[in-house]
Formats: sequence, C-alpha cells, structure tokens
Amino acid sequence: MTRWGRAAAFITMIAVMVTMLFPLSYMVWLSLKSETGDALNWMENYTAIMSRGRLWLFMLNSAVVAVAVTLGNLVFCLMTGYALARGKFVGSKALYFSAAATLMIPSHILIIPIYMLTSKIGLFDTYWALILPFLVSPLGVFLMTQYIRGLPDDCEQAARIDGAGELTILFRIVAPLCRPALAVLAIQIFMTNWNSFVFPFVLTSSPELYTLPVGMAMMQGMQGMGTPLLMAGCTITTLPVIAVFLLFQRQIVEGITAGAVKG
Amino acid sequence: MKKHIILFLIAPWFLTLAVFWAFPVAYSFWLSFTNHSVFASGTFVGLDNYIGLFQDKAFLLSLKNTAFFAIGTIPFTTIIALVLAMLIAEKIPGYRIFKAAYFLPSITSMVVISMIFVSLYSRDGYLHLLGKALGLAVPENGFLFSTKTALPAIMLMDIWVAIGYYVLLFLAGISAIPPEIHEAAAIDGAGFWRKLTVIILPQIKPMFLFILVINTIRSFQIFIEIFVMTRGGPVGSTSTLVYFVYEEGLRRFNIGYASAAAYLLFVLILILSLLQIRLLKGRQGTVG
Repeated sequence: MTRWGRAAAFITMIAVMVTMLFPLSYMVWLSLKSETGDALNWMENYTAIMSRGRLWLFMLNSAVVAVAVTLGNLVFCLMTGYALARGKFVGSKALYFSAAATLMIPSHILIIPIYMLTSKIGLFDTYWALILPFLVSPLGVFLMTQYIRGLPDDCEQAARIDGAGELTILFRIVAPLCRPALAVLAIQIFMTNWNSFVFPFVLTSSPELYTLPVGMAMMQGMQGMGTPLLMAGCTITTLPVIAVFLLFQRQIVEGITAGAVKG
Repeated sequence: MKKHIILFLIAPWFLTLAVFWAFPVAYSFWLSFTNHSVFASGTFVGLDNYIGLFQDKAFLLSLKNTAFFAIGTIPFTTIIALVLAMLIAEKIPGYRIFKAAYFLPSITSMVVISMIFVSLYSRDGYLHLLGKALGLAVPENGFLFSTKTALPAIMLMDIWVAIGYYVLLFLAGISAIPPEIHEAAAIDGAGFWRKLTVIILPQIKPMFLFILVINTIRSFQIFIEIFVMTRGGPVGSTSTLVYFVYEEGLRRFNIGYASAAAYLLFVLILILSLLQIRLLKGRQGTVG
C-alpha cells in the first residue's frame, strides 16, 4: 500500500475502534453517575445493585454453572477425543461427524423440546438443567479429536508395552500433551456459558437460580431500577469476560478459528 | 483399545448427543404434528399446525422480519469485516490493538449490549441525539418505539456487535494464504481492489462460505436483543421467528403450534445453508 493509503487505513481503523469502544465506555461512565445523571456517584450504584439486586447470588450461580460446565467439558471432551482419535470401532466416524453436524443445528429451535424434556424428568428449575445439557460440547469433541490425531503416539505405545492401562495413558500421558488445546477449550466454554442467556432463561423460573445475564434482563424495567444502576450491574457482568479476554487473547482467537479452519 | 474402555470413553458424548440433540430434534418433529397445549393433551392433528401458521398474520410478520433482518445485516457485516480484516493483515501500526478492540463487543453478553443500546436509542440517548443532529427523521419517543425504526435500529446494533468475530475469521483465512502469493502481488503492484478480487477472495473461498453459513444460521435465530429491547413490539414490528416460537410455546404454551414454527425455521435454515454451499462451491466440490 502507498503511504497515503496506509494513512487512510490507519484513520479508518481508529474511527472504527472509537465506534466499537464507545458503547462499553458509555456503560462504565453511566454506572458511575447518579440517578439523574448529572453528578458522579462513584461506587454507590455498585453497592446498591449488589444488595438490592441480589447480584451476589446471580454471580455465584453464573460462576457455579460456568465452572462446572467447563470442568465437565475438559474431562469428557478429552475422553471422547481420545477414543475417536485412537480407537478403531464401528461408528467412530459417524460419532465424529455427528459433532460437526450438531454445529449446524440452530440450537434455539430446541428450546421447546429441551424445556419439555427437563420438566418431564424433573430437572426443570434446578442447577442440573443449566449444567447437564452442556457438559460435552460438540466443539470440544471436534477440537480434542483433531488435536489428539495430530499428536505422535510413540509415548502411548511405549506405555502400553510397559503394561499401563488405557485410562492411565489418557490422563497421565495424553492429557498433559493436550494442555494447549484444553486451555483453548476451557476459555471458550467458560466465556460462552458465562454469557449464555437463552437456555438458562428458558430452563429456570425461580430467581434463586438466575445467572447474571438472566438476572440483569429480569431487573430491566423493575421499579426503582434506573439506568445508572442497571449499567453498574452490566459492568459487573462484563468485567470477568474482559479480564479473561485480556489474559488469554491468543487462546480465544485460536478457539474461534479452530472450528472454522479445520471444519 | 478394548471395547469396554471405548464404551466408557465415548459414553458422555454419546448420551449428550442422544438425550440433548437427537431426542429433542425428533421430539419436536412429533410435537409439531400434535395439538399439545395447556388445553389439549397432544393428539395427532396432521398438518394442521403448519397450515395454521401460513394463515397466521403474526407468524408471517415474524418470517418477514427475520428475512429482512438477515438480508439487511449479513451483506454489511460480511463486507465490513472483510475490509477490516484486509487492513489488519496489512499490519498497519497498532493492528493488534485494533483487532482486540473490534472483538470486545463479541465477548460481551448480548443482554448487556442490548441494555446499553436501549439507553443509547432512548429519547435522550446519544444515538437519538446523533440522529437528530444528522437531520434524520427521528421518532419522537426514540428509535425503539416506532414501527418504522425499531427493527432497523436493532439491525444496526447487530452489525456493530458481529463485525469483530468475522474479522477474526477472515483474518485466519487471509493469514493462511501462502506468503509467496502476497509477495507476488506486491511486486506486481496490485492495488487494494485487485488484491481483494484476484488474490484474497479466491484463496479464502472456504472461509467465506463458512462465514456466510454461520452468519445466516445466527441471523435467523435472533432472540436475545428482541427480548431485552422490544419484546417483539411495537405491534409485532420486531418479532422474529425465534421470538414467535418463544411467545407461542413458552408463554402461551401452544407447544405443538410453536414446535411447527420451530421446525419450519429449522428447514428454512437448512435449505439456505445448503443453497449457499451449492452456489459458492460451484462444481469443484473439494472445498473445506
């Protein structure tokens, strides 16, 4: 590109960046203001929404759900990936492609049958409804199978000759080698579930089980919930993902592009 | 590996697949042919639900809104993201920061984004004032309270939110192009437009296809922003298909009827995805 071209590109990108950052900065700015919006309130909105809005509880729910689902995915996707990458059995191909196929199913069309299912088996409005359906993600199965396929199997073979069992091999030898892929998976799953709204919203009814996004959506329009107060809650909801993003940017980018490039 | 070990290893995924994917897909197919609701226990009614949907003005409006939403956002999101990805790939100073900043909206909860924009679009919100300053015909009560502007306002927000994610995907595609090709283009003195049409587009065809398909799947499922910002209003002008399914199924408990709507949506998305794959893949059939 010419010098002028680069300058024009630079200015364009700055302008886009300002547009991208403006709404989020506006959220933080408003959260520090008083109800009428003309004076700075600093932390008052935060303490108010924490106590009045039961945000502590929502935060705890979000954390429990996101962490449980993440841990489940780490273990189960590793197991599945190992079996699909190394085991030769009837239907292994079908099981692998099923993971790719589910990525093509628009999940929101399943809100009714999954709602019916959870209420029939007594899971509706429990923590289990928020955790069980998401414990093994198709993305994770996909990612781990691909990654393990790319690993050399010399160490596994050597351990097998020494008489090590398959589970020992999986958790002692393969798992440590999979650390980069597991990190990508963990971050991806944590962020998705922390922000998840549709299923937690559909599968619970008592406020005791609301996650942060559900709680925030429900608080909107409630009496005495002015915009600065809501923006304080929104900031609290957003901070953890921004922190994770700043710490693990590389893994996040990998997680997002992994499915696309290999798919 | 022994059989019982394999069974043990794949059991969690197999169960998830069976219980939370295959069963719901099959179950809602069955439900869509029944009159399951608060008043009826769910007897087989054949195609009644499907026929009813095509005579239901609310459904047809949701269908129209969803199509409008997709057609009005996907081209913009794709083109803007592609151009930004190309600029980032040129490694303009600060490109890492730009990339991160563009992606921030994508990692933020959609509920949060929607609540921020409710405020920005409101009567004394900044976007309202900006619209006025630009001399646009701004509705008196704010963009979200007029049947003419509510859906376009949400679409504008959607483009803003989604761009960063597709920038990353396009970037992955562009950086996978062998550097020799880029160098050859530089030596030939290819400009921006030539580089885009002659080098980048043909080289990133699989990624372009993937982006188009997932963007379509996503756009046809828009729900959270509708729920938080307008609840489908004013007078149904922002009701989308998933919002219709939610209203009918989980608020009025017309389970059978809503399942039929969900299934139509499923088939619609499937047809569109296959169509896009066909059109873009052409006859080579070796993409991806």
